[in-house]
Amino acid sequence: MKNRDITLHINGEQYSLNVAVNRTLLDVLRDELGMTETKYGCGTGECGACTVLVEGKAINSCLTLAATMDGKRITTAAGLSDFGRLDHIQQAFVDEAAIQCGYCTPGMVMKTASLLAKNPDPSEAEIRHALEGNICRCTGYEKIVKAVKKAAQTMPGRATAVERCKEVVQ
Amino acid sequence: MSEETIVGTNAPRVDVRDKATGQAQYAADIQLPGMLYGKVVRCWEHAHARVKRLDLSAAAASPGVVRVIGPKDVTAKRYNSSVLDLMVSESMHDMLGDIDDQPIFTEHVKFQGDAICGIIARSEEAAERAAAKIVVEYEPLPVYLTAEASRAPGAVQFTPEKPGNLAFQLPEAMFPNHALGGGDVEGAMRDADIVVEDAFYVPKQKQCQMEPHAYVAKVDSGGRLTCWTSSQMPKLVQRKLAKLFDLPMNLMKIVPTVIGGGFGTRLGMISEPQACAMALAVPGHPVKLQTLREEDWVISPSRHPGKYWMRIGFKRDGSPVACDARFENYKGGYYLDASGTAFTAGAWLGGMYRFPALRYRGESYFTNQGLTGAYRGYGNPQTNFVLEQLIDRGCAELGADPVEWRKKWHKGVGDDGWCPGVTYPSCALDECLDRGAAAIGWTEKRRKYAKQEGTIRRGVGVAVMNHTSGAMPMLLEHTACTVKLNEDATAEVLFACSDMGQGSHTALKQIAAETLGFPFEHVQLSSGTSDVAGFDIGAHASRTIYVGGAAVKKACEEAKRQLFERASLQLGVPADELDIRDKRIFVKADPARGIQAEAITRAGVYHFVDPMTGEPGGVPGQIQGYVSFFAPHNSPPFGASFAEVEVDTETGEVRVIELVNAHDIGRAINPAAVEGQLEGGIQQGLGFVLSEEMDYDAKGRVQNNSFTDYKMFGPEDMPKITTILVEDADPVGPFGAKSVGESGLVSPIGAVANAIFHAIGIQFTEAPITPEKVLKGILEKGVRNYAAIRRS
Ligand code: FES
Ligand code: FES
Repeated sequence: MKNRDITLHINGEQYSLNVAVNRTLLDVLRDELGMTETKYGCGTGECGACTVLVEGKAINSCLTLAATMDGKRITTAAGLSDFGRLDHIQQAFVDEAAIQCGYCTPGMVMKTASLLAKNPDPSEAEIRHALEGNICRCTGYEKIVKAVKKAAQTMPGRATAVERCKEVVQ
Repeated sequence: MSEETIVGTNAPRVDVRDKATGQAQYAADIQLPGMLYGKVVRCWEHAHARVKRLDLSAAAASPGVVRVIGPKDVTAKRYNSSVLDLMVSESMHDMLGDIDDQPIFTEHVKFQGDAICGIIARSEEAAERAAAKIVVEYEPLPVYLTAEASRAPGAVQFTPEKPGNLAFQLPEAMFPNHALGGGDVEGAMRDADIVVEDAFYVPKQKQCQMEPHAYVAKVDSGGRLTCWTSSQMPKLVQRKLAKLFDLPMNLMKIVPTVIGGGFGTRLGMISEPQACAMALAVPGHPVKLQTLREEDWVISPSRHPGKYWMRIGFKRDGSPVACDARFENYKGGYYLDASGTAFTAGAWLGGMYRFPALRYRGESYFTNQGLTGAYRGYGNPQTNFVLEQLIDRGCAELGADPVEWRKKWHKGVGDDGWCPGVTYPSCALDECLDRGAAAIGWTEKRRKYAKQEGTIRRGVGVAVMNHTSGAMPMLLEHTACTVKLNEDATAEVLFACSDMGQGSHTALKQIAAETLGFPFEHVQLSSGTSDVAGFDIGAHASRTIYVGGAAVKKACEEAKRQLFERASLQLGVPADELDIRDKRIFVKADPARGIQAEAITRAGVYHFVDPMTGEPGGVPGQIQGYVSFFAPHNSPPFGASFAEVEVDTETGEVRVIELVNAHDIGRAINPAAVEGQLEGGIQQGLGFVLSEEMDYDAKGRVQNNSFTDYKMFGPEDMPKITTILVEDADPVGPFGAKSVGESGLVSPIGAVANAIFHAIGIQFTEAPITPEKVLKGILEKGVRNYAAIRRS
């Protein structure tokens, strides 16, 4: 098996790694770096439990080869919070009781982050559409959708973000 | 209503900050020094076969492999991965006929995914590579996928203990004529004016908990075997594993991990025996066994599918005279839970309506499908699909309004619940029906949709259900709980029952804080490990709050009693004249007189003798409340669901527009958590009735073991949801609470099926009601207006 030297910027830290070319980003995060906040749910891109941000965009880390991520900026759920201080999305999930078993939560939170970055004022239909790739078996999605709405409302710098998006649309 | 300040509030969940950041540790997240990786080699190509030859040598020589173990390397003892057999007395166990028929590694493959051997390696990849080098030759056997096939004369016997492959039927000794119920069913049916009858099929639904099963096991130098598992029943699993591996229980330790959803799949064991067998092969090294999703899908037990026949007789005035039913369910290849669902499906049937005569027969047959076991609802969804549709068919023939009919004939306070002799202490189903009907706009929509034109048709339907709060009197209901008061008057509660994600630990902590009179933040609750925590039967049968909550309350009351006794000495007032709020104990009649709890707890722990006087200060001893609690009763919850659907008669698609779940839960300890249970239940109930089913090919191989091929309701498929909590405090449950864990899933099933009936005038006897079945039904029967079916 061939290996490759790569550098990943994960949650603001730089990691130099030598990875087998067939290793997924999920495996590297979990097994090599011990970053178990990103979850394995299916390994085939069908559940969203492994969602992380790469350059701000949500991807399924189980489908992504780590070797192709050289030089990329990666954010995991642990990267949103600051040593126990939750960011506004995580806080919204807590406040809206949107977390039950919590296994889907890191992925849901990351998907929400990427949605709100693109669309700071999503409608309910847009939220539901954005979450289609993330399965939750506990909540019926009801409180998760509410949490995403709340996260949009409590987003720092929300007013400017909404304005900017309006301009882009116009 | 009540003076509680913590119970009844949406107290913040105790575990969610860790879950939000991903720091919560599930079994697969555990990393231990020196850890090895296990892999179970499974039979993927056959669902029924004998192992003719097994050669482990090439795999054993593969790089990175530490050991390979097969059937000859592990105990020859068999086990039963369910834990029902431990919850009944020995005589009951013998009568039910529970058996241990599962080997750790098999030589007779009984379902696709049966375990053949195990590999222990230095990495997951090395284990995977070695797995490919296992040489195994099979002799294929005939594959039986239905009860008809497996009970046919000449069929291969799954186990000599169960002739005819009849795993279970209601035992004659307890159920004369193998039937639950009573009264003269045949006679009553002859006197009936209207009899509705049909043969149904109920599907094999998968729990699809998001966390695939994972384990770590290790033998330490003292010979103690430890297993990290997300089982819902850590204490019973401890006993099962100790028995299987011939260990005294003190040498079998269970460490419960955070649970990534259960829904019944973690009731008992799945691969704990294999994980422990591997650890025993490499003492001193932890072995991690991570199940892949596609593997989890085939090896963990699913909901019991099968044939369900029922007939119900009515008098012209609407009164039901008799119900006769038979559920013939298809087990997988092994026995586990064969007795449970076959019984409970009938129990919920018996608990619902006042049928003067009832006969229910339940049987389980071995088949070569994947295993069947506990799944949220445990027989109730199957019964709901059948019973509630037939009631609506009866209502249509009688010209009765389905809501009014149910209000008139459902069982209530004083009637026998799901188990004869255990009467309902409370029932607010009428209020559920009234409020649910109002929320969906029942009267108006029933009238409006009874006559429609066009290709898109709408309908509204209702269904009701009863469930259970714990399994008393059929199963043992025992929970031990300890509460210890620290010297600073904070409390630590130890209670072995796991939180599966439903928020039970938060609600239990609310109960503890409320009872003690301590702030919520000053109470800690933990399930501990098996060597520290007392006995608890586990999280099943929606019992955690009703039984566990009562145990926590009792233990806290005991701690509070000791606290008041000491305060009474200090204040010179009898203990029963004291009260506590926010950790200050005071005289009820004179609240200005009081003492801080901390003054008592501190003096109890730091009990110094005054060096000047030689006198001790205060009463010595750390305060602990302990209870070994047996539930005295069972207060089942009730629920009514209302569904509005839209049926596209050209494509057969059914869209659920709105779902109202109105539930009589007694009292919501944490309303947001209760809502969460009912909302999540809806997603699974809708799946049962409309989309979810495991498919097998003729060879017994699963065709849809992935989230793409197995269709669950996603965020865009979900209807508008309205949750109504009907709070009518139960006289028995802690603070009036009954259960909520399973029930939300049940009645949406009947409500959706009945809404389809209302929309197009057709009932479907096979779930899930997929677009293909709808189209076929329309083709065969034609779309009919509900008004045309109604006789009156
Ligand atoms: S684990 Fe990556 S999508 Fe499921
Ligand atoms: S909270 Fe359990 S899967 Fe979403």
